[in-house]
Amino acid sequence: MTLSSISSLTLRKTPRISDAEFADLRGFIYDVTGIDIPERRQYLLENRLGARLAELNLKSFAEYSSYLRRSPSKDKELVYLCEKITTNETSFFRDSKQLDVFRDFVLKDVLESLQQDGRKELNIWSAGCSSGEEPYTLGIMLHEMLRMSIIGWRIRISANDISTAMLNKAKDGVYNQYSFKTTPQEMIEKYFTKEPGGFKIHPKVQRLVSFAALNLNDRMALKRVPKSQIIFCRNVIIYFDEEMKKKVINAFYDNLLPGGYLILGHSESIHKFSRVFKPIIKPGGMFYRKEG
Amino acid sequence: MVLAKDIKGADGGVFLAAGTALDDAAIASIAALGAPFAYIKPNPAFTSPEKDLQRIESFVRYYFQYVDPDSPLFNELFRLVMERVFEASQKGWAIPCEYERQAKSVEHLHDLFFRDQGASLDLVKHETSLSSFPDTYFKIKELLDSPASTAADMAKVVSADVSLAAKLLRLVNSPFFGVAGRVDSISHAIALVGVSELATLALGISAIKFFKDIPPELMDMETFWKHSLRCAVFGKCVASLLPGLTSERFFTAGLLHDAGRLVMFKNLPYASVQAMLYARSSGAPLLEAEREILGFDHTEVAGLLLEEWNFPAELRSIIAYHHDPLLSPAPRDAAVIQLADILACGVEISSTGMYSLPGMTQEAWNLLGLKTYDIDKLIRLHDKYFQELTSVFF
Ligand SMILES: C[S@@+](CC[C@H](N)C(=O)[O-])C[C@H]1O[C@@H](n2cnc3c(N)ncnc32)[C@H](O)[C@@H]1O
Repeated sequence: MTLSSISSLTLRKTPRISDAEFADLRGFIYDVTGIDIPERRQYLLENRLGARLAELNLKSFAEYSSYLRRSPSKDKELVYLCEKITTNETSFFRDSKQLDVFRDFVLKDVLESLQQDGRKELNIWSAGCSSGEEPYTLGIMLHEMLRMSIIGWRIRISANDISTAMLNKAKDGVYNQYSFKTTPQEMIEKYFTKEPGGFKIHPKVQRLVSFAALNLNDRMALKRVPKSQIIFCRNVIIYFDEEMKKKVINAFYDNLLPGGYLILGHSESIHKFSRVFKPIIKPGGMFYRKEG
Repeated sequence: MVLAKDIKGADGGVFLAAGTALDDAAIASIAALGAPFAYIKPNPAFTSPEKDLQRIESFVRYYFQYVDPDSPLFNELFRLVMERVFEASQKGWAIPCEYERQAKSVEHLHDLFFRDQGASLDLVKHETSLSSFPDTYFKIKELLDSPASTAADMAKVVSADVSLAAKLLRLVNSPFFGVAGRVDSISHAIALVGVSELATLALGISAIKFFKDIPPELMDMETFWKHSLRCAVFGKCVASLLPGLTSERFFTAGLLHDAGRLVMFKNLPYASVQAMLYARSSGAPLLEAEREILGFDHTEVAGLLLEEWNFPAELRSIIAYHHDPLLSPAPRDAAVIQLADILACGVEISSTGMYSLPGMTQEAWNLLGLKTYDIDKLIRLHDKYFQELTSVFF
């Protein structure tokens, strides 16, 4: 093979997705997951799923749509599809400035008022936790803050994602360099042990976190999440349209105990479509509080 | 497997050289050194041209995943880029790994405001209140706007800025500009290319000075300005293929087409990196990632910035609409820079390219009335002149 074989290459490798097929697939994805694929990503979607059609021996996107709806392995396929249309980008101590202010203003406040009430029970919800770096970071922060006294607390960090592949990785708790790009060296040394496959999270942190699959578009499932004082949902609602954002934010509101806090990603804001929360702006980070 | 790059020892010297075979002993010594990672590549004895070409193809396809796979323009560009990457790799260029193509994290950098707590105009106001704009710029602008000014006035103002005048002369004397004979004064240059053409070039070059203190973690300035210069070269070349366009302003527009990005990098560094990470992992072009993560994009920022500076309106709209030419008051002009930018990104795939190519609609392409074989011609022109022009600017 030489340069001459390049001249016969073309970009198209997949069956073409017609406008009707795109609309159908897009509608299906939206109905199930709340994820909104903008029209301008039609080619990107075609490209990302094209190889899958070939693997499944399907000839058109219409066939793929019905496979997603009717095949015996449709649940598995949905997970695969979600992975192709979202990103799982995450890391330990992601947005450390935000986490610092979270610790100093939110966490401290919540822990102190629980202690005063003599109810040392803390529930945190990490919604859209990807491969687990975020909930484990919160576990580490609690250990750092409470030290030995952590044994007197009942702490539960409920961590969910739609992607079971990511959740399996999270449960394994073994990470490579990429997950630590935003992590202070001393935290790695203190809370991880080196293994042949990477760095393993310490069991005392792992114990605090329970992972489970959950679709944020599943209203009933959202109701079953234990009521929390703190919700983290960072870099997830970016995939949703306004309607879905509203639904999810309202579900968070219902889940939070009075005085609880919602923490969104650095570049996310609910300012434009929801005023139920009180925004609290600090240098480095911003939070939403449910008053009461 | 062999090492693709040297591993440095604690003293900064070469601990293991590129090309070292990674047998058990070598791996053990790397582990003992504590190197966090190493760049590796397949042992040359086990690779084949077919495998190379497959790797190159999947590497190049990444950049084309967002665009219309049936577009004649992008199909042609795809093949030309394949050839380019193939040639580069024959000459020893190694396809960068994912780690190298990721934006670097910037946990220590602060943003001016949070999402929806400020808008693009706040960025621009903040930026222009901090840095003052080069004096020469305003003088040139004043002369351009005044009907009574003469070529001699312009020559005087431009010549007074020694470094600007030197750059302009080198530019005009470069084979790329191709004027006959040697031009040794600004007034001679004006006589050859015209007052407003030369003034436009001078505006663009003096504006570059405005952008300093961009966090190096976000963007290496040399890479940034090289991309801008490529776009300038392509802009002028594309314009020269179209009837009835003066090409100097497209050179200037190309130079400044991404200026809005610099303002974003400087004032919203953290969010900008989030956009870069998002672009890379989702396969969307950086433009779209900016819109999603920040709520606005670099063309909007550039439009406001150039308005603040009173930039000539036609240049402003070329830059502000270079990703949406059909919305521009002068769609064809904006389409020239849209194409120039895409071609610049295309030729960078074999060096510094990071993100998926932004698209160009068939309608916008049709405005230019070019043939697909012109793409090859344009890239050859770029290759012929680009290297030499870099010495004028850097
Ligand atoms: C970029 S990651 C965010 C990880 C982490 N929160 C952080 O900020 O680093 C986004 C995650 O949202 C998940 N996600 C997207 N749509 C979802 C849905 N409808 N229900 C649950 N999780 C969803 C994706 O699977 C992905 O793992």
